[in-house]
Amino acid sequence: MEPEKTEISKSWEPRIVMFCCNWCSYAGADGAGIGRFQQPASMRIIRVMCSSRVDPVHVFSAFLEGADAVLITGCHLGDCHYINGNEKTLVKFNFMRSMLKELGLEEERLQLNWISASEGEKFAEVVRMVTEQVRQLGPSVLKPEGVA
Amino acid sequence: MSELKVAADIKVGDKLLGWAASEDVRSRGASGGLVTAVLAAALETGLVDRVLVLKKVSEFEAYPVFTSDVQEVLESAGSMHSVPVNLARYLKPETCSGKTALPAKPCDARAVVERVKRNVMSSEDTYVIGLNCGGTMHPEKVRKMLETIYRLDPEEIAGEEIVKGKLVFFTKDGKEHAVPIDDLEAEDLGRRDSCRYCQVKIPTNADLACGNWGVPGDLAEKVTFVEVMTEKGVELLRNTVSAGFAEVMQPDGKSISAREKVNKVMLGMSEKRKTEVFAPIENGKERFEYFRKELENCIHCGACKAVCPVCTCGEDSKCTAYFSLADSHKMSLFHMVRFLHLSDSCIGCGQCEDVCPAEIPLTRLYQRFAVPVQKEYRYLPGMSDRTPPFFALKLEDNEDKEGGGCTCR
Repeated sequence: MEPEKTEISKSWEPRIVMFCCNWCSYAGADGAGIGRFQQPASMRIIRVMCSSRVDPVHVFSAFLEGADAVLITGCHLGDCHYINGNEKTLVKFNFMRSMLKELGLEEERLQLNWISASEGEKFAEVVRMVTEQVRQLGPSVLKPEGVA
Repeated sequence: MSELKVAADIKVGDKLLGWAASEDVRSRGASGGLVTAVLAAALETGLVDRVLVLKKVSEFEAYPVFTSDVQEVLESAGSMHSVPVNLARYLKPETCSGKTALPAKPCDARAVVERVKRNVMSSEDTYVIGLNCGGTMHPEKVRKMLETIYRLDPEEIAGEEIVKGKLVFFTKDGKEHAVPIDDLEAEDLGRRDSCRYCQVKIPTNADLACGNWGVPGDLAEKVTFVEVMTEKGVELLRNTVSAGFAEVMQPDGKSISAREKVNKVMLGMSEKRKTEVFAPIENGKERFEYFRKELENCIHCGACKAVCPVCTCGEDSKCTAYFSLADSHKMSLFHMVRFLHLSDSCIGCGQCEDVCPAEIPLTRLYQRFAVPVQKEYRYLPGMSDRTPPFFALKLEDNEDKEGGGCTCR
């Protein structure tokens, strides 16, 4: 589906920091590449050993350095390599999201999704979906001056 | 008048009227000096090793001291509405050896509970004597209102008291000067901002909850209404009564309902103020602009964190370690981390606002984040031993909580 082109989207592409769990979504990214599922080049992937390794400071720093959105991905609930890391991610995620919302950022700018190692297609789908949502929103208010 | 109650009969849940046995203590302390008597008795009988009290310098100045000297405790007696310090901050591992008792406003008591949850101190070793609180005042503002509204010389003040919605100052020549607090607040004087929307007036989270609300008219200023909240509270009060430092008796039903009524009125006023102050800013961009503007003058001295009684990170904390002024971000990482950390733990004590050299209304900003989160999780920090929602291992542990808008379900 061709996204609707707005004034912003012609000149501007979102930059999204994506945290991928080593045991699932990072392999999912590989799967998406091998399967040749098309996806925009908006993601900047950072591999972490578990989605729960993503500290609020990482997320805030990403926004402050100019990310338009942050996407955290991890294993499906119950499948965590470290028993319950993703459960803790969920708790933290909810807190970060309500905090960023109160600060004035749109909810879609911080997202969490579970993508397993075999879900290459889902990976590409999520990347497409998040990129499109953020493209509609435009640049983040936290983006420093002079950063694209 | 009903008979005096003996020490052995005191139990959890008791609501009593009490006063200090010694004439000296009664004259020093407010409302019969019961709190002073409890502290003095605890120290004298060895129930606690030391007490944490405010050492008075003047009506507008006092500093916290740990003391084992009963004389010093007696000297600290009396209410101090113009010294809004949070004593809980001083209870830390370095200073917490042995048993400590402290008088505490509801926010001090809440801070103690939160500090216990964060393992900086032990609950068993701390005796919290709660004081009802309708609000405290910033010393600078007190001076200002004395000069502009009361037309008094601040140096001539010998004492103050809040009685029936009026702020009364006693001058050294023995005269009383009363002005309704509402009139003061209309001029943006009076109580501190955070006190005006505070949600806890009776410290039901302390060991004893003391105050003058509910005291019958003929005994006003002579006795203290005390509610025994915990086993430690029983221990404290039994100890005081059996050592002969104070006497207690059963109040009539009228007193108990009068106290409830005062509390309800106060809470109602706070609630009203709260909805006024925290009227939501609908537009996200405007919200961001509001925070950015308020924080514009921040010089990053870190004083707000240093006084924060619920911040237990110490010197090495995320908000300071990963923050650099040279980054010149749109919003400082320090504030963002503080906003997040305080969203479930801010007790709204107002210390940050008091110490801020740039006069940023920090408590208001922190509460902006805390109010919706605490409502969502139905969690009021410092009022129970429930694990803070941020520390929950699973989402389900924060009961009453839906998926929270995450896209993965």
